[in-house]
Amino acid sequence: MACLHDHSCEEHDCSSDWSLYKHVDLSKVSALNEAVSGSVKSVFRAWEQRLNSSEGYLESNEGDPELIVFIPFTSDVKLKSISIVGGADGTSPAKMRAFINRDGIDFSDAQNMQPVQEWDLVENLQGVLEYQTRYSRFQSVGNITLHFPDNFGGDTTQIHYIGLKGEATQLKRDVVATIVYELMPNPSDHKTRAETGGGLSQVE
Amino acid sequence: MVLEATMICIDNSEWMRNGDYSPNRFQAQADAVNLICGAKTQSNPENTVGVLTMAGKGVRVLVTPTSDLGKILACMHGLEIGGEMNLAAGIQVAQLALKHRQNKKQQQRIIVFAGSPVKYDKKVLELIGRKLKKNSVALDIVNFGEEDEEKREKLEALLAAVNNNDSSHIVHVPPGPSALSDVLISTPIFTGDGEGGSGFAAAAAAAAAGGVSGFDFGVDPNLDPELALALRVSMEEERARQEAAAKKAAEEAAKHEKGEQQSTSQDTTMTENVDPGTSEPDKKTHDLTDDENALLQQALAMSMDDSSSTVAVRDTDMSDASADDHDLQLALQLSVQEGAADQSNQTDVNKLLADQSFVSSILTSLPGVDPNDPHVKDLLASMQNQSEPNKEEDKESKEEEKK
Repeated sequence: MACLHDHSCEEHDCSSDWSLYKHVDLSKVSALNEAVSGSVKSVFRAWEQRLNSSEGYLESNEGDPELIVFIPFTSDVKLKSISIVGGADGTSPAKMRAFINRDGIDFSDAQNMQPVQEWDLVENLQGVLEYQTRYSRFQSVGNITLHFPDNFGGDTTQIHYIGLKGEATQLKRDVVATIVYELMPNPSDHKTRAETGGGLSQVE
Repeated sequence: MVLEATMICIDNSEWMRNGDYSPNRFQAQADAVNLICGAKTQSNPENTVGVLTMAGKGVRVLVTPTSDLGKILACMHGLEIGGEMNLAAGIQVAQLALKHRQNKKQQQRIIVFAGSPVKYDKKVLELIGRKLKKNSVALDIVNFGEEDEEKREKLEALLAAVNNNDSSHIVHVPPGPSALSDVLISTPIFTGDGEGGSGFAAAAAAAAAGGVSGFDFGVDPNLDPELALALRVSMEEERARQEAAAKKAAEEAAKHEKGEQQSTSQDTTMTENVDPGTSEPDKKTHDLTDDENALLQQALAMSMDDSSSTVAVRDTDMSDASADDHDLQLALQLSVQEGAADQSNQTDVNKLLADQSFVSSILTSLPGVDPNDPHVKDLLASMQNQSEPNKEEDKESKEEEKK
């Protein structure tokens, strides 16, 4: 059910669907192996601006096409689909692997871990393709890490736009600033959600 | 005040027994490590530092990144020297230790002390560097100890591969009289990318250099930070001005070297009167807890005030003044060439000694001052050596007043 835009956009109003960029916590967005530090923040824009990368785009370092983008949200979201606009001449990413609600993933972690979902991408310079998620797994996403291991043969990987479609809930994830390991177990610290009233149990 | 987790890689190979850094390379390195740990933990209380050794039986992590300074200092105790440094493995283990830091929000940094020859070739090091850059780990390299061109090149190549936006640095410390830690204090490794030397660094510098109760100017930066900062800034400005003046004077001295043979007694009197007056701004650097020194300063200052008008009149032009002050130029020359043991210095020293007889004759005329007193002698020696740049600076300020 990809929105191929063979109709005029006014009826469909695509831009409101792709409004999850408003819920991205831009100050905490980070990327690994980016050539220009901080350039990753420029890839989150409104749908209408998806082809307008005048403010900069995300590019990986010379000779190394791998990229990791860490996207935290300001509240939990339900993610329906993702759209990626890459660069020309083989610099578009070829694969995308997603990890949910994990902090501090670096390249060795990303290569060894099983992603929540994996996609094979095609060159999508007009931004009309979207990649759907297995919605049931993406029901309460506090942050998502996208790993792009490969591209279409270019020297670097360029990403001009990342679009996120879905719904934002008003819930905030439980944020623990630093985890202190306890020397001895204390059952009162470990009430499960089942005891306090139900909900998904989080496995870190 | 950037939030950082740091891993320090220590070289404890056989090459560290060498004594070209006092007392030996290993001890100098340990002092530097202690200072770095202190500086990091003070600049941000949530910073963590860890230590590992690269030689010995193999790479060994002594303490994982922690903000507990005592633990770090304790583990530096009782380290044994031996084996060969394994730079590549050391850096990779450091990277692994940083990866598993508790607070993922901290930036990652590795500080490597490379004292022994590097046996890995450039390609391997560059590969490691690129991997560090990819995982946004910064790397600081302290190149000391063994010196060879290859090692320098390899380390520079490693730095180039890691460097991202000037967050990584390399410092080459040749063996010399100053301690390794003193040299490092002024480098970006301590000051952290020009965020301003932390109060710790300044206090440490003062403690290392002057031995004055650990604080600059007797003011605790913690109790009164603005005052300490203002004093420090004015001190640095003063020093910068002195250096500029000294440089200018050195050029003048080079021009008028051995030109003049006359030295009138008035010249020397004026010289001596200018000396103590201009050394007054320098008071902060002198240890003036001694009352006699203070009295002496005041006495000479008063006599200088009497002839201040003549001084002003005479000093309209720098070159004219230098033409007249033969002794001044010689003294300047001496201070500029300080440390270089060559023949010309000897003759200069002799002339200065002759000068000193004039000084003692003046001093004997002053009441309550005994020229044979050791304090007085010390003061004279320090005045001769240190107030030369001040003379020029004082003259310039007098010129400005005149204008």
